[in-house]
Amino acid sequence: MSRRVVIGTFAEEGGLLAFIRAARSQGLTLVDAYTPYPVHGLDAAMGLRPSRLPWLCFLAAVTGAALKLLFEFWTTTVDWPLNVGGKPWNSLPAFVPVTFEVMVLSAGLTTVFAFLVLARLWPGKPPARRLPRATEDRFVAVLEESDARFQSSELRALFEQFGAEHVEEQLEESA
Amino acid sequence: MAQRKAQHYWRSWEEGPGASEFVQISRDEFAESLDRPTEQFSRRSFLKAAGFTATVTALAAGCSHAPVEKAIPYLIQPEEIVPGVSYFYATTCGGCSAACGVLAKNRDGRPIKLEGNPEHPLSRGGLCVVGQASLLNLYDSHRLKGPLREGQESTWAEADAHIRAQLETIRASRGAVRVLSGTVSSPTLRAQIQTFLASFRDARHIVYDALSSSAIADAHQATHGERRVPHFRFDKADVIVSFDADFLGTWISPVEFTRDYASGRRLDTLPPRMSHHTQVESRLSLTGAKADQRIRVSPAENAAWIESLAACLAKTAGAALPFALNGEVGPHNSIIEQLARRLWQARGRCLVVCGSQEPRAQILVNLINHLLGNYGTTLDWNAPSQQKAGNDCELEALSEELDRGRVAALFLLHVNPVYELPNGPAFRAALGRVPLVVNFADRWEETSSLSRFLCPDHNPLESWGDAEAVRGVYGLCQPAIRPLGNTRSVLESFAAWSGDTRSAYELVRAHWRENIFPHAGNAGEFDAFWDRAVETGFVSTAVQATNAKPFSFSALENLPKISTPAGLSMVLYPKVAMLDGRFAENPWLQELPDPISKVAWDNYACFSPAAAQRLGVQEGDVVRLETTTEGGATTSTELPAFLQPGQHDQVVAVALGYGRQGTERFANAGPKWLFARSGVGADGRVGKNAAPFVTLRDGYLQYVRGGIRVTSTGRRSALASTQGHHSLTMPKDLPLVGGQHRDIVRETTLPALLAGDFKAAPSPAKINGLWPTDHPYTGHRWAMAIDLTACTGCSGCVVACQAENNIPVVGKDEVLRHREMHWMRIDRYYAGEDEVDVVHQPMLCQQCDNAPCETVCPVIATVHSAEGLNQQIYNRCVGTRYCANNCPYKTRRFNWFNYMREDALQNLALNPDVTVRSRGIMEKCSFCVQRIEAARIEARRSDKLIADGQIQTACQQSCPAQAIVFGDLNDPSSRISKMVQGPRRFAVLEEFNFRPAVNYLAVVRNRDASGKSPSEDRSNG
Amino acid sequence: MASQSRPFDIPLVAGRKTPADVTRDICRSLEGKPTLLWWCGFFLALSLLALGLSAVSYEIATGIGTWGVNRTVGWAVGITCFVFWVGIGHAGTLISAILFLLRQRWRTAVNRSAEAMTIFAVMCAGIFPVIHLGRPWMAYWLFPYPNTRGPLWVNFRSPLVWDAFAIGTYFTISLVFWYVGLIPDLATVRDQLRGGFRHKLASLLSLGWTGSFRTWHRYESVYLMLAGLATPLVLSVHTIVSWDFATGVIPGWHATIFPPYFVAGAIFSGVAMVLTLVLVARKTMRLEDYITARHIDVMCKLVLLTSGIVAIAYATEFFTALYSANAYEEFAFLNRAFGPFGWTYAIMVSCNVLVPQLLWFRRVRSNLWVVFAISILINIGMWFERFVIILTSLHRDFLPSSWTSYRPTPIELCMLLGSFGLFFTLFLLFCRLLPVVAMAEVKGVLHVGHEKEPATGTVTPRPGVEEWEIANMGLPGGAA
Repeated sequence: MSRRVVIGTFAEEGGLLAFIRAARSQGLTLVDAYTPYPVHGLDAAMGLRPSRLPWLCFLAAVTGAALKLLFEFWTTTVDWPLNVGGKPWNSLPAFVPVTFEVMVLSAGLTTVFAFLVLARLWPGKPPARRLPRATEDRFVAVLEESDARFQSSELRALFEQFGAEHVEEQLEESA
Repeated sequence: MAQRKAQHYWRSWEEGPGASEFVQISRDEFAESLDRPTEQFSRRSFLKAAGFTATVTALAAGCSHAPVEKAIPYLIQPEEIVPGVSYFYATTCGGCSAACGVLAKNRDGRPIKLEGNPEHPLSRGGLCVVGQASLLNLYDSHRLKGPLREGQESTWAEADAHIRAQLETIRASRGAVRVLSGTVSSPTLRAQIQTFLASFRDARHIVYDALSSSAIADAHQATHGERRVPHFRFDKADVIVSFDADFLGTWISPVEFTRDYASGRRLDTLPPRMSHHTQVESRLSLTGAKADQRIRVSPAENAAWIESLAACLAKTAGAALPFALNGEVGPHNSIIEQLARRLWQARGRCLVVCGSQEPRAQILVNLINHLLGNYGTTLDWNAPSQQKAGNDCELEALSEELDRGRVAALFLLHVNPVYELPNGPAFRAALGRVPLVVNFADRWEETSSLSRFLCPDHNPLESWGDAEAVRGVYGLCQPAIRPLGNTRSVLESFAAWSGDTRSAYELVRAHWRENIFPHAGNAGEFDAFWDRAVETGFVSTAVQATNAKPFSFSALENLPKISTPAGLSMVLYPKVAMLDGRFAENPWLQELPDPISKVAWDNYACFSPAAAQRLGVQEGDVVRLETTTEGGATTSTELPAFLQPGQHDQVVAVALGYGRQGTERFANAGPKWLFARSGVGADGRVGKNAAPFVTLRDGYLQYVRGGIRVTSTGRRSALASTQGHHSLTMPKDLPLVGGQHRDIVRETTLPALLAGDFKAAPSPAKINGLWPTDHPYTGHRWAMAIDLTACTGCSGCVVACQAENNIPVVGKDEVLRHREMHWMRIDRYYAGEDEVDVVHQPMLCQQCDNAPCETVCPVIATVHSAEGLNQQIYNRCVGTRYCANNCPYKTRRFNWFNYMREDALQNLALNPDVTVRSRGIMEKCSFCVQRIEAARIEARRSDKLIADGQIQTACQQSCPAQAIVFGDLNDPSSRISKMVQGPRRFAVLEEFNFRPAVNYLAVVRNRDASGKSPSEDRSNG
Repeated sequence: MASQSRPFDIPLVAGRKTPADVTRDICRSLEGKPTLLWWCGFFLALSLLALGLSAVSYEIATGIGTWGVNRTVGWAVGITCFVFWVGIGHAGTLISAILFLLRQRWRTAVNRSAEAMTIFAVMCAGIFPVIHLGRPWMAYWLFPYPNTRGPLWVNFRSPLVWDAFAIGTYFTISLVFWYVGLIPDLATVRDQLRGGFRHKLASLLSLGWTGSFRTWHRYESVYLMLAGLATPLVLSVHTIVSWDFATGVIPGWHATIFPPYFVAGAIFSGVAMVLTLVLVARKTMRLEDYITARHIDVMCKLVLLTSGIVAIAYATEFFTALYSANAYEEFAFLNRAFGPFGWTYAIMVSCNVLVPQLLWFRRVRSNLWVVFAISILINIGMWFERFVIILTSLHRDFLPSSWTSYRPTPIELCMLLGSFGLFFTLFLLFCRLLPVVAMAEVKGVLHVGHEKEPATGTVTPRPGVEEWEIANMGLPGGAA
């Protein structure tokens, strides 16, 4: 089914911030905001919960390190023990560096892949919304006209009240 | 001319006219199937041929010359010959006239290694560098492939026909026939030559040695009425005084002498026995490096020292001399008296030898030995040495004859007079005037290229023959392989020309039946005697005691005057590897660093540092050495200078044997790449020939030449030296640490050792490492001990290792770039300034238990075996060189290139048990793991334990001094376990807890506890 | 955070730019024709690269023998280059990760090029361990993988294996970090350019980025985590490289001081290299407004600081050696300073310790030509530092009998030049293909310093600013 969205473009990050605070206080449903750079305080304004990616990162790190350490132990002590320079089969201290590197690697890559998946980003993907100036210098808020209570005119007024320089309505296929 | 002729011959087997089936075989050795018909020369029949099972060889090869008869391999019967199993032929070394006993290790029908024959009464298992390397002479594609006439290939039939025809005319015209040879140690050949010459009116066999000891024999002629070189018994001598005789290096019979010398200095016996050795010499020889007391004298002083010693002893002995000896040698009388005292106390147990060619000196030495009653004890008169039969007077006579064109036929047997005689050019010219010149040389060299007929002799490993090193000790030469070319034994040649068609085998056998078997004493069948001889490689027969004539003092009546060289004198000496240059085309010998100078691939002018300073010469400067003869002719050469500590300041020493024709081949020895430099000098040869400086004066080849002028050419030439730093004390120019001493070689004096207050190492290192050890060594635990007191640095082990382990030759340029590949090296360190002490330390992989190299290898290409071996896995190595960097002993060698052999034929000498390493991987000493495995297999087969001493590493096997012991540390009864108990044991860099498996036994010098030798007192005084 | 705690009055970006200006300025360099200077540089770099390539191919075809190394000196120029380039590679991550964590916002202008530098430097570094192998085609044996040889694994006790993992990880993480930082800018480029190769490239690589704040939200935490991971990583990498030597038994190598010493040296050389590049880039790409005198000034101080650390390290290892009373150690260091290769030691000390002292003077720091010269000298000095450590320790070790010397062959030197060729080729291409300044980040800090008085275009640091900067130079402690 399709839905109607109102797209308001601001010149200043301040305008956007204030608008979003107001809009959310009025119970309007905010689809998303688009900014050229991460605007401070916007996450709070939009009421976004802190990302859970750090936990995943930690998990990946621990797993990677543990597996690697186990592998090193197994190769040198169990699978084919060889007397190398009179060192004991299980030369634990010598295994630390590689373990550490593998930990960092697994953590880093997992995090980034998870991010790409969550944010639905992949090579060559066309932008979901064409907002060319949002990647340059404009700050865009997108609201959904969810319930009939709202007149688009009032909505437009609300935008202009916070200094939006351009407001338009669109009918779009909702994901 | 050489070139024009040379290109007439083929360079390698492949190009050869009808490439010899031999290489065919060697090429598809592994390709073919076993069920190949024997009409073709298949591998199997080849093996049989090589094993000399008679008939097969005959029809397989159908060779023109005499068929090869049955020989019996040492210990193993021929029918047991299996491919892949080595078997040994006991034969005699053809390297030099010392005639040591060797075992030729055969594998798949070809000799791959020469080892000393432990049962031989003289060499007793030792073998020198030349002996070891002589294997390569067999596989030398530059050897002549058959007879030549006027430089054209010919057949034996044709050559014989012409030679016999000419001989007939000469016989008719009563022309003079001369055979000129080096010392012929083969009694059969001597007899054969005599029978050949007998048929001529005017015929003589003239013998000379390029490294002559003629004066010794002549001196005995004078003093004992018989021209003999007595058999020196260093093992019986408790006091040894040597005047310029390098008996451990190159003099007469070095291997035997080294063995005897070492047995006279055995510290592990109780009570320890250690002879006292004084060396009076002008240059630093290998022998001098070993001496307890070393006295530097100029060649001029040398005779004076002998004379005053004689005088001193005569006084002590109260012998009435018919003439007055000048006992004055300036300030050194105290030393002389001390020497005399020491000798006198050891009457009959001492030995004085002299390397000089001055008859006066030699006669006086005889007097000394007579006064000391050494004849019959340390000088064996009854069984004299046959190793130096040269007679320089006859040589001089011959050259006059030649000059006057008196000689009708000249037979040249294993000599190269044009190269090695001082009057070479004259000789060259004279040869042209001789109608018939026949040369038995096996290659195209200075003299042979002028001979009308070239009748190449077999290589000693190809032919039957015999050798009499010392009267009563007869060595037998038996073929270890079918002749590679269409050569013919000299025996057969002479026989053929005297109308005798018998083969060498028959000739030798017959001669032994008639002349040796009767004296053998033991009754029984000759055949049994013969078989035993063939098995063991030698027989010893009783020598009838010819009571020596009384010492004739009349010889002293009119002693020949000493010719004292004036000013800076040149001393011409042989190097242990190059000798007189006979094997100059042998790459192993060329690449061997001289044990004293550590320089390979060159000869050079040695100056003492002081002399160099005086002359303003730096090491590496090319200097021009000039001298003028009485006639006004000047002899000169240009050589790079080398600073040799311990040499007399009035001496410049130059090695003989270089600048040989044929060494041009080494121009492209070693890898070829963008910035590779040629390995030969400007004249295209390796080194310069110093023979022109030798003089043939009143019947003696003199190796000292006075009145040398040294001028700098301004040019420089790098010397391929393998050792960077000369001493264990750090460079003086460094602040704080300058002059610091490194405790890498430990040494003490005999009194200190006997007093028991010497301990080389605190204790077999019990340092607690950081790590717990998971690695108990339960089974065998291989280890090595090297007795530095016994080791003379002769370097036999280096070449033995090279031969055993397929170590490539890298050429001069690579040596210059410090990339020599020897797994075993002899480190040489000096102590002191002018009066130097020298230590030699064989350095090889120390097989550390806590090996730094293993820990750092990323791919586990080097690991430790359960028996304590540090193993290098070639096919796993990726070549990071991290292990070499981290090796504290720097004994690892890297394959910087693919090292092709300069002569493809030499690949036949490769040891099939050892991998040939390719480019880009690390290699090093493996403790001859292939021998360990062989012993293990043998033990399993025979269901026995590996006996102590059953495994001998290559270096250990051939060590004439028996300085190296290898064995199992876990076997308390093994020799090694006992050796490491002694106080002399230490390990290099032990304090770092590498736990090396190689132990060293400290150097012991027979000096007073202060460790000072009187010579040092003198230098201080 | 210090940076929030006090008002900014020094603009991070000069000339009162609007976000639109930023976009235009940065993308301009992508659209317009390359300057003549660029072409010269590119041609030079390319020819050096060709030279290096031919040298390498000859070496691989013929053997390591084409190098000057010998039985005692197994490593020399090759491994020196490896350590040198790894060191260079450290500044990028330092600036992008550590300074990020320390909220050093001046980094925004330079971090992009610094990260690019890191990646290219690590690429150069990665080549040498491979080509220095006797059998380079076996290089993959350094990694453990199931095989038919037993299976035979690798020796995890060997620092070279640690190296392989460290360098591999470092390269991957740096690349990812760099790319993640690029995504928003690529989107900008995509939306700015109309067609053309760069547009296609940007469309492909920008992953459909729209600037959605929900994504920004996650993005920030990811970036923070990567920075958090990269920081210990960058320290570990050179630590491990230093262990190549420190775990060896050779006097002069066997030293516990190596890890901090090497890391400091790496940052030192890295920042010097950043200076070199940035000074070139800001001229050729006309980025004076973004890479201001202030950035140069700050980095000079960073250089000064790390130079100090390196100097202390030199002194310490010398003292330790002499104090150790170990004859071999003492000798190794005295030979290092006064032996046959003393001249290399002299170069190292003068370039790394003496020359940087000039940076104490503000007039020196503000004279870009002098700064440029100094940065070049430091790069030379740091190359020689590694050369000294490797060569002088090896060539005279325990047994005097095995002492040798060393002389590089032309082949080796060509490889050295070749690595520079590769580095600059890649960097110059980067300047043409990708935004050299992190636009999104710069836009974020545009207002900094512009809240109060209108900027006068030129930036005049006020007294007192220096001290504050030094305190926040990205040192542990400066963060508090």
